[in-house]
Amino acid sequence: MPEVVIPIGPQHPALKEPVNFRIIADGEKIVRLELNLSYNHRGIEKAAEQRNFIRVLPLLERVCGICSHSHATCFAKGIEEIMGLEIPPRARYIRTIIAELERMHSHLLWLGVAAHEIGFNTLFMWTWRDREAVQDTLEEMSGNRVHYNMNEIGGVRCDLTPAQIEAALLRLPNLEERIKKYREMVDSEETLLIRFRGVGSMSREEALNYGAVGPTARASGVDYDVRRDDPYLAYAEVPWNVVTDTRGDVYGRTRVRIGELWESSQIVRFCLENIPRGPIRVDAPKNAPKGEILSRYEAPRGELAHYIRTNGTDKVERIDIRTPTLANWTSVAVCLVNKNLADIPVIVAAIDPCLSCTSRMVVVNNERRTNGAGAPGVQITSDPKNRQNRM
Amino acid sequence: MTDPVFLLLYIFLFPGFFFLVAYALFLSYLDRKIAARMQQRVGPPLYQPFADFIKLLGKEVINLDGMDRRLVDAIPLVALAAVMTAFLYVPVLGYSPLAFSGDLVVVLYLMALPTMALFLLGWLSRNIFSAVGGVRAVTQLFIYEVPFFLALLTPAIMAGSWSISEIVLWQQQNLWLVFFQPIGFIVALVGLQAKLERTPFDIPEAETEIIGGPWTELTGRRLALMHLTTEVSLVTGSTLIAALFLGGPMLPWALPFPWLNAAAGFGLFLAKTLAILLVLSSISAATGRLRIDQLNDIGWKYLASAALVQVGIVLVINYLWVTP
Amino acid sequence: MSVLLEMIQNLLSRPVTILYPREKVPVPDTFRGRVAISDDKCIGCSKCSLICPAQVIRMIEGPRDVEFKGKNIARKKRPQVKLFQCIRCGLCERHCPTGAIHLAPEFGGSGTDREVVIT
Repeated sequence: MPEVVIPIGPQHPALKEPVNFRIIADGEKIVRLELNLSYNHRGIEKAAEQRNFIRVLPLLERVCGICSHSHATCFAKGIEEIMGLEIPPRARYIRTIIAELERMHSHLLWLGVAAHEIGFNTLFMWTWRDREAVQDTLEEMSGNRVHYNMNEIGGVRCDLTPAQIEAALLRLPNLEERIKKYREMVDSEETLLIRFRGVGSMSREEALNYGAVGPTARASGVDYDVRRDDPYLAYAEVPWNVVTDTRGDVYGRTRVRIGELWESSQIVRFCLENIPRGPIRVDAPKNAPKGEILSRYEAPRGELAHYIRTNGTDKVERIDIRTPTLANWTSVAVCLVNKNLADIPVIVAAIDPCLSCTSRMVVVNNERRTNGAGAPGVQITSDPKNRQNRM
Repeated sequence: MTDPVFLLLYIFLFPGFFFLVAYALFLSYLDRKIAARMQQRVGPPLYQPFADFIKLLGKEVINLDGMDRRLVDAIPLVALAAVMTAFLYVPVLGYSPLAFSGDLVVVLYLMALPTMALFLLGWLSRNIFSAVGGVRAVTQLFIYEVPFFLALLTPAIMAGSWSISEIVLWQQQNLWLVFFQPIGFIVALVGLQAKLERTPFDIPEAETEIIGGPWTELTGRRLALMHLTTEVSLVTGSTLIAALFLGGPMLPWALPFPWLNAAAGFGLFLAKTLAILLVLSSISAATGRLRIDQLNDIGWKYLASAALVQVGIVLVINYLWVTP
Repeated sequence: MSVLLEMIQNLLSRPVTILYPREKVPVPDTFRGRVAISDDKCIGCSKCSLICPAQVIRMIEGPRDVEFKGKNIARKKRPQVKLFQCIRCGLCERHCPTGAIHLAPEFGGSGTDREVVIT
């Protein structure tokens, strides 16, 4: 059969957000693929430069709908470090609780999406049903299901009442049981194993080579987690483990995420039970001194980095957001070559892509003054010859 | 010869056209409801499949550039007519009035037509996703059809007749064939699931991979008729399996009045098709979609050999039991 | 196997879906809903207007005598919020010295008219 070009996206039922693959397939086998990102550039970085530190946090939360707390915390953490602020322990614990609840709802969402990609809608419905419990907890604590807006430079916006802590602790046992059940289901459900095992596998060397982060890298045996290796918030005080796996395939990533779900539930439990008393914020100065910082944070999808440069005013001079999805894209492009056409949704979903968050970089080739085939944004291609031309 | 008025009623009113469409829509409702309740959702109301059907009939039909309009209009009709005709040969109340020796082969042939129709639709749609889906549909047909045919022909070997109604009569005199052929029964159920393109065999229409496969470019009444075709196939297929393996609509003993016999037969028909539907719904709710190469492995390695083993067992039984 | 078991359990139990118009979800007290202003408490300090991330709070003329910490103040201005441009972040509520502007636990709704205001 001759080579066929199959366009996937920017609109496609497997994709929740706009991205475009041009897949060159030979029958059902993928020969090569080209990846077009950045269909949804929103100019958030530029907008962030024009707002003061109080007003910029709600904006940065809107970089991503799922990991909204990650972006706000990452930024607040960086600015606090520049200002030399030490936030009170209670605020650190509250931030940790919200962060881990967010990780739980993100991973439960991912599990559902991954199941849906292989047509296993029952698991999809179940995980999303259980995710509601996490969302309810978040809503009770912060007043909103998605954009919690808990962060403030110097602490958190609102305190947790004993009633809220009690309600959250009451929901946890059920969630823990469900997580155990999902581990059991993933291990025993035949069709899921057939579709996940050996699909999209990436060795440890490849993962390091292509700069994969987060659960994607940890599933390939890269023992790296910012929460442990560069501890922030309350992670240094909480007993927890980094979950890794050596399989490197989609099944391994599923195992890692379910393991992280369990760890997150334990972190939340520990923090809720041992939350220190005291103030929830310190007064932050209006202006930040001149400085620059790379603030790192383990978002649900992997390592998130905010590069922040301040110039002594109440605004940032430059902020650059590197989302985990951007780091994971190249590994996807490599994983897909020589795979089956039917595996595309699974492999793409396995890195838990958050596409619109990633849309902020534009590379222009100075010599040719183009960026590929006239498509918007970056063109990543898995063909080494093409890559040099295009990037 | 049967009365022509009775024949007309049989074809158009009951259990033919009208009843068949109504029952197909009802089964589709039940299927969706069962799946929904297994996922702890509420599920659709009773009239939903009917409302969907009417709505689709009223929608605009979109013709793509270069599409053979008349052919694409005709194919869903042919597919629907094929499965509806197949249903007439399957006994619903008792002996089918249209039965003839060899109708099993005709039914199997007619039930294979919708897949071919899907392939043609995919091919004619001039869309890459449709074409890939059509090719997948045919590939899948070659995989499941052999074990499915083998599994459905073993009852014929055992009963010594190629007529479905004769096989049902044989079961009335002896035992349900499922007791002799449990493997064949399972293979037939799996084959039916694959024929209806339900998970884990919804490879040709894999939504997340190729949007809808051959269904992608279908609109309006074409889509409505193709949906109806799959729903009618579900009824025909489950009735066929009920007739071949579960004794069909016949009670093991005769009741005093013919109308009572017919009523009991109808009740048995409902009970058996609903039971088969429950099994099929559970399978599709409990599994994810396979890949076409994995299906190839499973189909030829396990399903086909299981069906062959069943044929062997039946031949041995026949030799030991029927010959003297 | 665990999947099948749970499917049967679910088949026999009630669905979890909340049929919205008939059943209502309990809304927590902390819910950040539609912005509301208690005019009798507002002292016209303009803090909300300065802090608002979406910059949808404008101070308009609203002279009134209000009591604050035992003192009587003659305020000159009061806030006006563009309802559908508000992102309901809760910062105005957090910075308001009297609790005059707050987010009520009722749904904020959404709309396309940018000029709908709440005073």
